[in-house]
Amino acid sequence: MRSILIIIVFTLIAANSFAQAQLSGKVTDSGNNPLPGANVFIQNSYDGTTTDSIGNFSFKTDQKGFQNLSASFIGYKPFLRKLALDSVKTISVNIVLQESDDQIDEVVINAGAFEASDEKKAVVLRVFDIATTPSAQGDIFGALGTLPGVQKVGEDGRVFVRGGEGYETKTFMDGMLVASPYTSKMPDMPSRGRFSPLLFSGTLFSTGAYSAEYGQALSSVVDMKTNSIETEDKSSISIMTVGVMGSTTKCKEKSSFSFNGDFLTSALSNVINKQQVDWTKSPITADGTIMFRQKAGKTGLYKLFGTFNTSSSGMIYPNIQTGTNQDILLNSSNVYLNNTYNGQLGEKWMIKSGLAFNSDHQNINMDNDRLITNQQMVQAKIGFSHFLNEQTELKFGADWVNFSYEQKIRMDGNYRLPFTNNELSGFAEMEYKLSKKFATRLGFRAENSSLLNETTIVPRFSGAYKTGDHSQISLACGEFYQNPENDYLKFAPQLKPEKASHVVMTWQYLTEMKTFRVEVYIKKYNNLVKYTEPLATNPLDYNSLGSGHAEGVDIFWRDKETFKLTDYWISYSWINARRNYKDYQESAVPTFVSEHNLSVVYKRFLPVLNTYASLTYSFASSRPYHDPNFSGFMNAKTRPYNDISLSLTYMLNFFGKQSALHLMLNNLAGFDNVYGYNFSNTPNAAGKYESAPIRSPFVRQAILLINIML
Amino acid sequence: MKTSILILALVLLSGVGFANEAYQKAMSQSIEKLFQAKTIPEYVEVANQFERISQIEKAEWLPLYYASYAYIIISFQEAENTKKDQYLDQAQKYLDQAMAIEPNESELYMLQGFLYPSRINIDPMARGMLYMGKMNESLDKALALNPDNPRVYYLRATMTYHMPEAYGGGAAKALPLFILADEKFRIFKPKTEISPNWGKEMNDAELKKLQK
Repeated sequence: MRSILIIIVFTLIAANSFAQAQLSGKVTDSGNNPLPGANVFIQNSYDGTTTDSIGNFSFKTDQKGFQNLSASFIGYKPFLRKLALDSVKTISVNIVLQESDDQIDEVVINAGAFEASDEKKAVVLRVFDIATTPSAQGDIFGALGTLPGVQKVGEDGRVFVRGGEGYETKTFMDGMLVASPYTSKMPDMPSRGRFSPLLFSGTLFSTGAYSAEYGQALSSVVDMKTNSIETEDKSSISIMTVGVMGSTTKCKEKSSFSFNGDFLTSALSNVINKQQVDWTKSPITADGTIMFRQKAGKTGLYKLFGTFNTSSSGMIYPNIQTGTNQDILLNSSNVYLNNTYNGQLGEKWMIKSGLAFNSDHQNINMDNDRLITNQQMVQAKIGFSHFLNEQTELKFGADWVNFSYEQKIRMDGNYRLPFTNNELSGFAEMEYKLSKKFATRLGFRAENSSLLNETTIVPRFSGAYKTGDHSQISLACGEFYQNPENDYLKFAPQLKPEKASHVVMTWQYLTEMKTFRVEVYIKKYNNLVKYTEPLATNPLDYNSLGSGHAEGVDIFWRDKETFKLTDYWISYSWINARRNYKDYQESAVPTFVSEHNLSVVYKRFLPVLNTYASLTYSFASSRPYHDPNFSGFMNAKTRPYNDISLSLTYMLNFFGKQSALHLMLNNLAGFDNVYGYNFSNTPNAAGKYESAPIRSPFVRQAILLINIML
Repeated sequence: MKTSILILALVLLSGVGFANEAYQKAMSQSIEKLFQAKTIPEYVEVANQFERISQIEKAEWLPLYYASYAYIIISFQEAENTKKDQYLDQAQKYLDQAMAIEPNESELYMLQGFLYPSRINIDPMARGMLYMGKMNESLDKALALNPDNPRVYYLRATMTYHMPEAYGGGAAKALPLFILADEKFRIFKPKTEISPNWGKEMNDAELKKLQK
């Protein structure tokens, strides 16, 4: 018995002391460059080592039989090879590691798209950047105005992209359509986005040639991603010169609930900031927003977003066209509900689904006339992603939008202008990565409109090729349809969908701290709405024979590292655009287009003052307008637009609570910007058409805000 | 028969004993090396050792904890931001694995809180708000699990020290926190010889600097 024990013990010792194998070799990448610091070892043993400064390794092992030799290095796929360690004393292995796919230097299809995200690493903008851009005053759409390709159209407030009108930019939230993303607007006054930038963790802003997933947008899409599940209970209140705001968040293990509410009034602000508008009722707004997030299973996330808004304002509008001062009272309310569920279905499938509802009510009293507009939208959407293999992803989906519109007019009689449209769409798209350097995406989208009785099918293509570690070139093109604006459809439902085609080419250099991109594009418009005179009521006065084009160059430069504590970006756009639409007599540069647009945003932390300062300078060259006093069409130009805005954020302790004091100053230098002119419909006694400039409601504006974390 | 079973059991037992001893030994050696490391290659080498240990000792969170710690230190030393993030991704990967093994360990939440400041350093303006919240959340959790974890007190004190006075930071505010951390370090007893037991020297150094 004892002898057996001895034998066993002896064997064990023998196994340990004899026949150690010596492993050595070199670890390199696929380009034969040595990888120092790689971990090389025999799996399930302590035997192993780290490669030296020239990628070499050498170690001894006591392991026997077939063993797995493993090598790993950050940013590379793990390596595994079976070795027989029995009889061999020295083994030489050269290991080539392949780069892993989740590296940030992989090619990304991005022509035409700007992405703001807090989740991804290398992006052009962060959500924080949007919230703190001074010229934007906390408005998401205003912040997008500092990006290239966007025109400065101060009297409108919407996003005008690359020779396209404001309505050609469509807004989405978590992929679902937002039918009325802007607040209701008074004549010649800018509207704002309804949503606070702080509700979103990312924004995708595409200025052209976007994916087949997006439809019914001629020029641009803005897709805002709402915050994911919150993990921290928090509450805060803000007191502003324009009102009060409060928010609270409660979290559970798998869900979170937030409420944001605000009450805004310009009463005080209109006293502080001299107004160029005769307000009879200072704008008042009340908003309430709820967000609920629930995790479902391992990967599923259900999101509910609901917001309610009501506002009212009144002004005397000097209508030069009719030569009268109109007393205008505007009341509006808006409800938006958005439910989405995203999650994985097994390993290779993902589902994205949603249900959205939007109701918008607007009541305008103009002297004794009355205009009531009701819009309602319901959208259901479902989409799937399927990963066929590591290189190929297939996406497809369908959505249905039911939109009903009704306008009631009381003006020398009662009129009612209703219409309903059911838009059914489907898309399929395949993204194929030929290599880490080269990716392509091909998609198709089909749309059917019940109102226009038209079906359209359009292709979308994009491709990207990496030209260096941080640079890539991309090409994207596609065709886009969008139904004419409601203001035309209500009179003339026989119109065709308007059409645009885009070709976009981009070269981009992107690192964590620096971005440079140049984009050139060509855009063509067909089927634009033309009419004989504005507000014509006869359907036959409208046709779809309008056309247009736009070409341009957009340049963007951002640098966060050259100057200490400083971050700045510069956007410049050059555009050549012509249109023959609406009641244009001939093809001309539309009134919202300025040939040159420049924005400089400069942000700096000032440690001495504990203050975060942001400065924006915006410039836009002259915009054309039509002066009936002279011959020719679009025969005059405004003076260029200039704006300098500043915001200061000072962090402080307010009664022991973490707080921030924000001061926002718009148009510091007091530039007298004129966006265009309105002309009288009829000449005066001297035979001259009188004119009135279109200006901002204020020259300068200051807003002070204190935010206290409770 | 009985004896052969006994022998078998004995052999098996001694095998277990060997393995455990090997683990202890490998850990002690690596930990010693970790706290002697100065350069990035040295830290990488020792992190690799911990990774090798972790792939055998699949039920142990400590090798992963130290591997993660090494990569956090590396990220503080690395100058290039893209690489910093890569190292932190690696640190996070180990930490996530460790959390999966031991979801209720104060030291792991503390380490998570220690990782975030390095993320912030890369782009303070853009990341400050997001990661400060996450850091506090992790440290709160670490304290809930062990109200006497001295490293949490040390990290809180350091963060306070480096924050501008107007944000509620500065030397004056930090000093009592370092003193409190010192008290916690004095009474702290690591659970085992290889359990986390670092930070006292750093705390002493800060304290000395401030009390001058």
